[in-house]
Amino acid sequence: MTSHPTDDLAALALGTLDAEETRVVRAHVSACESCDVELRALEEAAFALAETAERDTPDSLRTKIVERARREGRPRRSPSASFLDLFRRPVPLAIPVALAVLLAISLAAYAGAQRDGDRYARALSGIAGAKVVALVPTGEVAGVRGSLVIPAGGAAPYLILDLPAAPSGKTWEAWILRGETPLAAGITNDRGVTTLVLTAPLASGDGVAVTLEPSGGVERVTGTPVLAGKT
Amino acid sequence: MSRVAGGDADALGELYDHYGRVVFGVIYRMLGSPESAEEVAQNAFHSVWRQATAYRPDRGSVRTWLLAIARNAAIDWRRSKGNRMGRETAIDESLMLVDERRVEDTVIASLRAQRVRAAVASLPREQREVLSLAFWSGLSQTEIAKRTGAPLGTVKSRVRLGMARLREWLGDDEVRR
Repeated sequence: MTSHPTDDLAALALGTLDAEETRVVRAHVSACESCDVELRALEEAAFALAETAERDTPDSLRTKIVERARREGRPRRSPSASFLDLFRRPVPLAIPVALAVLLAISLAAYAGAQRDGDRYARALSGIAGAKVVALVPTGEVAGVRGSLVIPAGGAAPYLILDLPAAPSGKTWEAWILRGETPLAAGITNDRGVTTLVLTAPLASGDGVAVTLEPSGGVERVTGTPVLAGKT
Repeated sequence: MSRVAGGDADALGELYDHYGRVVFGVIYRMLGSPESAEEVAQNAFHSVWRQATAYRPDRGSVRTWLLAIARNAAIDWRRSKGNRMGRETAIDESLMLVDERRVEDTVIASLRAQRVRAAVASLPREQREVLSLAFWSGLSQTEIAKRTGAPLGTVKSRVRLGMARLREWLGDDEVRR
């Protein structure tokens, strides 16, 4: 039976959970329709509570807010928003096409790669009895390649990656996107061809991405994907 | 909201026209100072402007998103200033404002606000207290447990029961209207 975070939904609506608690509850809500409905109702109740404090504002406040926005210019695009958008918008149309193109290029390249001793291609060509999904380079970092490998028989999925050295203070981190919340799925500091076993469960339809994050990895994505794909 | 995300400063002004009184009022109630409230409300709308592209309509309404930003701005400001005196004032004022005697207060302009106040006032005192400490004082549940001397599990139950009753009461009220 699924356990619902009943107590924490009310606390989340009141804004009294810390960041980690919020992340855990949000992750549940993103995958649980009944909790999502309940949370929205509780948030509206919290807003009704806020309305009891409504009062007249200082005369100049509106002008200050609008002028400050004009001075600063367009809102900044957040990394997490671009991360989610990558799956929300392009996946249904662009990425399948890109995947098909990439697959064709990859297959054509394999023969040459074999001749050139391309370790990445050799690693891929040695896979048997598994589903392989190519990850698409987003253009954020040049020279990155990656594939998701889902072994038959229930073994843990893993990534085969070909990466440049991560900048000082940074690490490569894998993410699984299910619903609205990217799940941290492992880090690697390796350069060149390497494998990264996903530490979070992967389900059909999930997105997978790799980002650059602060050393040691983070629980909440901050970087922009360098590779992305969908199972 | 999409206009704000697209860089339309006039749209931010319209958002302020809709929700500025609530945002300013909440921050004022939390901080207890009009000067601080003005500064923090400005910062809150600046955060809205900067984070507009991150707003997700499928995760909640604009107003609840805006409220969360406003409360966080007030909590951050209080922490950065170490304003214990303001914090204590906010707690005391907030408790007074949900006292039963204020339900009949004719100064309350908004009928909806009056109904909400009545709903809050109908809660058992211990539930009112935890809702007030959480919402207006910005305390975590652990901090509330320490402050009230109640076990953490009891605090969590009171938050849940208080919010559930408030939600039910408001829901019934919406139906009657």
